[in-house]
Amino acid sequence: MVRHAWLMVIGCLVGCQQVDNPYFGTATLRHSPDELRFNNGAEPRHIDPGKCSESSGGEIANNLFSGLTDYDPATSAPVPDLATSWDISPDGLVYTFHLRPSQWNDGTPLTAHDFEWSWKRVLRPETESVYTSILSDIKGVSAVTQGSASPDSIGVHAIDDHTLRVELEHPVPHFLELVAYYTFRPVPRHHLEKFKAQGLDETLWTRPEYIVSNGPFNLKEWKFRQYFLLERNPLYWDAKNVKIKFARLYTIEEAHTALNMYRAGEIDWLGPSMDVPAEFIDSLKHYKDYVQTPHLGVYYYWLNVKKPPLDDVRVRKALALAIDRQSLVTHITRGGEIPIASLVPDGLAGYKALPIPLYDPDLARKLLAEAGYPGGKNFPHLRVIYNTLTHHKQVAEAIQEMWQRNLGIQIDLENREWKVFLDELDSGEYHIARMGWIGDYADPNTFLQEILASYSDNNRSGWKDPTYDRLLKEANNTVNRQERLNRLQMAESHAMDAMPLLPLYVYTRKFLVKPYVHGWHPNMRGIYPLKYFWLEETRAVRELPLQENPK
Amino acid sequence: MIRFVFKRFLGLIPTLLVIIVASFLIIRLAPGSPFTQDRAVPKSVLVEIEAKYGLDKPLPVQLGHYLMRLAHGDFGPSTKYPQRSVNEIIAEGLPITLTLSLVALAWALLVGVGAGIIGAVRQNSKWDQAAMAFAMLGISIPTFVLGPLLVLLFSLHWYLLPPGGFGEWRHVILPGITLGTAYAAYFARLTRAGLLEVTRSDYIRTAHAKGLPESTVIFRHMLRGGLLPVVTFLGPAIAHLMVGSVIVEKIFNIPGIGPYFVDAAFNRDYGLVMGIVVLESALLLMMNLLVDVMYAVLDPRIRLQGAP
Repeated sequence: MVRHAWLMVIGCLVGCQQVDNPYFGTATLRHSPDELRFNNGAEPRHIDPGKCSESSGGEIANNLFSGLTDYDPATSAPVPDLATSWDISPDGLVYTFHLRPSQWNDGTPLTAHDFEWSWKRVLRPETESVYTSILSDIKGVSAVTQGSASPDSIGVHAIDDHTLRVELEHPVPHFLELVAYYTFRPVPRHHLEKFKAQGLDETLWTRPEYIVSNGPFNLKEWKFRQYFLLERNPLYWDAKNVKIKFARLYTIEEAHTALNMYRAGEIDWLGPSMDVPAEFIDSLKHYKDYVQTPHLGVYYYWLNVKKPPLDDVRVRKALALAIDRQSLVTHITRGGEIPIASLVPDGLAGYKALPIPLYDPDLARKLLAEAGYPGGKNFPHLRVIYNTLTHHKQVAEAIQEMWQRNLGIQIDLENREWKVFLDELDSGEYHIARMGWIGDYADPNTFLQEILASYSDNNRSGWKDPTYDRLLKEANNTVNRQERLNRLQMAESHAMDAMPLLPLYVYTRKFLVKPYVHGWHPNMRGIYPLKYFWLEETRAVRELPLQENPK
Repeated sequence: MIRFVFKRFLGLIPTLLVIIVASFLIIRLAPGSPFTQDRAVPKSVLVEIEAKYGLDKPLPVQLGHYLMRLAHGDFGPSTKYPQRSVNEIIAEGLPITLTLSLVALAWALLVGVGAGIIGAVRQNSKWDQAAMAFAMLGISIPTFVLGPLLVLLFSLHWYLLPPGGFGEWRHVILPGITLGTAYAAYFARLTRAGLLEVTRSDYIRTAHAKGLPESTVIFRHMLRGGLLPVVTFLGPAIAHLMVGSVIVEKIFNIPGIGPYFVDAAFNRDYGLVMGIVVLESALLLMMNLLVDVMYAVLDPRIRLQGAP
């Protein structure tokens, strides 16, 4: 009897593999086709577009609030949203946006003044926005963030209710894409000021009972650490083209749980911020609903240029050249990541990646010998720190082995709890530290300026170089597009000659998405506007062009 | 009796106070700030945020403020979730964890006491062996193995119950069983041992001699004495179920307070860490007090000091 029961359990486990199913789990829609369900990852700290700084909050802000431009669902290129057209001055320094008549979901008209107020609000310290740097191309913003000017002095002016004039510090070829970013989306001034006048805590205004928004969706429910329920906004200017009625964004942090819920058909998509974990890729990649796409992000190691022997550029270069990046992505990360030896990925907005060798152990040994450590002799014990995660550990172990094999040096690996890790990084108390950076817009500046400029808070290497800052500034002041890219390349080349960081690979995203989900396109920016989604079980419909809604 | 309970209750307050002050200081000693993240926070903004939460003041002043607030039943703000106070977070999560714990407890008592009775009444029979084998298995299988196994069968193979989430009764079945099984196993062993001990006592022999039917002897006489160890274990079990739900709540994505025990500390969410510590220690102390009282009710030989 007992033996039979065991046989049943084992038989069932084997049966669960369902080898003949081309999809991972059910491919049948198991809930209403009006409602898209997916995982949005961790509970966000903010969903206020001016305060957001993490992907889970940004996903919600992007769909609740509508800006001057929006992202094309397939290419992520900017398309008109509230701005129907724009004029750009010949020197590329002044943008004049013409806004369509639109309203907040409480019926109040939305004007250019809302934009002006919202952008200035981001810069006020009491707003507690951590992403003020994304506004830094606008005239006068640097002075505000340095504390020497008031937010009211920046180059943003509502000329009338439907015209917004923006002056820039220097030409920004990607500015139309930049203003699609959530930090640039408007918040309802009339509502927030009322809130303040009533003596309420302004932080609370994004709760469903208070929120006023203007995007394709309204926030109907916010179940803390369970889900966000978005409902189509009938007052949105393009409401007739919003296909799904509801979107339920689950708050699931554990990848295994999300995979289970996907497999059982409880969610239709693993979501914009969760990848299939590396250990599952080999067993899942043959399924038809598995999608792999390059992502605008670079995984790298900071080298602390202030700690000997890392203060010697030859040592830094030797470390970089001794890593077999191809082997790293093939055997460790396994998700089709692209090995890279410089910071800006090839092809980003027409940019050509620097021709730095990916792997040259002989040259690495030579450089190390020149630095006074032939064969790794007398090389001090260095420490690589990473935040606790299996993935980071595996990458670090592989690199530790490569350095040992190619350079004959011993490196210690130490994991750190996230907050301790950040603390050590900020205090400069480390030798080598793991980091990653996801670009916020399709331009080399999202890496070159945000990570390496001496004035960026995100530069945690201790490497601050006025020449680099000057090269970057010169490049950014160039009007001609190609000329600008060439100059940016010069700046990057200068930085990579100093090698304050050690780029390893370009990220990829690994998704699972049910065959009945339509209007979803893999893209490098990782932005998937929900207004284009629809659910439909007929397979043939997938072949239709995006804009044609079969209903 | 009331005097005894009241006196014991007053005794809990200094204990709780020591726990509060110690944990308040320990969490502040941990390196890292509640507000650091991978994207660097501008200094001027950091100053603003820290002032808002009163973290710019000296530690003793902060402790004083915290105790004052606590005296008014206010756990203060959460630094990780600025839209919510700690009171709100606990008020939302606690009923969920309680529900889960009660389902687990019900499952544990039903299966555990049942198996224990069978084991004791049919001592050394096949049934006894089966019940004790179950108990052994239940204690040995960790929740992070049992949970996914149940999900594999009931969610992914048969599509009967959801593999995660919360909201309907369907959502608590699998996590309840996962969480409760280990306790069912403990209860089974405790019940069996307890019952076997009283089987040979005089009052049971008397009951048999009076000619009472077997079922009456078991349920009226044996269980009352035999369940004492189970009752002793019940108090800590409830408290442990709530703490032990950390893993189960993670596996099944249940928004209870379980994960905060770990996550709040990792996030350096000072307010939430303190809220959880105060809540859990108060709960544990109350449960121990309750067990002492239950003892007196169940066992007539135990007389409380000060009781009539």
